[in-house]
Amino acid sequence: MPAFNESGVIGDVISDVIKSFKTSPYFAEIVVVNDASRDDTGIIAKKYGATVIDHILNSGAGSATATGLSYAQQNGFDIATTMDADGQHDAMDVIKGIDEIIKRGDDLLIGSRLIDSKGMSKSKIIGNKGLSAITYILFGINSTDSQSGLRIFSRRALESLRWKTSGYEFCSEMLWRAKQQKLRISEYPIKAIYTDYSKSKGQNNWNAVNIIKSLIKRRLEELLG
Amino acid sequence: MIFSRYLLLLIFTLPFIVAGILSAITQYKIGRAPRKRLIAQLIVWIVVLAGLVSAESIYNWLFTNKLTDTDSLSLFDVIQITSIVLLFYITNQMRFKLRTLERRVQDLHQEISIRLSVKK
Repeated sequence: MPAFNESGVIGDVISDVIKSFKTSPYFAEIVVVNDASRDDTGIIAKKYGATVIDHILNSGAGSATATGLSYAQQNGFDIATTMDADGQHDAMDVIKGIDEIIKRGDDLLIGSRLIDSKGMSKSKIIGNKGLSAITYILFGINSTDSQSGLRIFSRRALESLRWKTSGYEFCSEMLWRAKQQKLRISEYPIKAIYTDYSKSKGQNNWNAVNIIKSLIKRRLEELLG
Repeated sequence: MIFSRYLLLLIFTLPFIVAGILSAITQYKIGRAPRKRLIAQLIVWIVVLAGLVSAESIYNWLFTNKLTDTDSLSLFDVIQITSIVLLFYITNQMRFKLRTLERRVQDLHQEISIRLSVKK
């Protein structure tokens, strides 16, 4: 769980995840990557029972996610999941995702908020669909929700998946790298919980412009070596 | 005289082009750069070389077809083009070094963060 200044909700999010796993047959270690927050995100996460990795420098969501997955890989996790720390994901969708990835035998499973976009604002739907379209144009990956933070990784994905961007654009780049590594990618529907807090924390459509710029740059760099 | 200026341009710029090609091959051979980068770099430098070798022919063709009415290569142009090639070489090297460094700093930061957090 990459987290930056999430002290207001991180405790509840961890509690929900712990509760959900208690109803499942899986054992989970909750890892919060505190991306050099200026508030008490790390302290609260630890208090609620998470393993906290403190980033020394604020490096962005992509970098924090990479750190968390690297920890999972180094510690021999069979399956790893990433989810947003702002409370926009239902913890039960994590369990559902783990069930699905085991059942399907995929390497990377994306929780798509847009298969059933109920509750999502029109501007968010347009922004996310636009970024998914850009992801398709640049990388040839067809995903209904390329920016989703809820993702499930197989052991094979943990071993082979690496990306270069450190900001939010990693969401699209990760799919591209997974395709390059010939990993099996699929999606499953999840619901998004939008509170005033998660709305204020999420990406807005202006961030999307930055993401597109960075993705084009990354694509060109790859072409030009 | 005109021929000698074009030759001078080639003599001045050739070391940078050769250095660029050698650097790309070396980075690939020692495993610091992927094959894709080697191919892209070779294409870029060969295009630059081809442009400089055929600069006189291109100028003559443009001039006879009335597509340009500028004077032929001056000594100032020779110095200017050589500087551009030199700057391109330096920028290209710096870009590669910066990218490698950025990657290494990211990896280092990630590893230090994990190790320090596990120790706590």
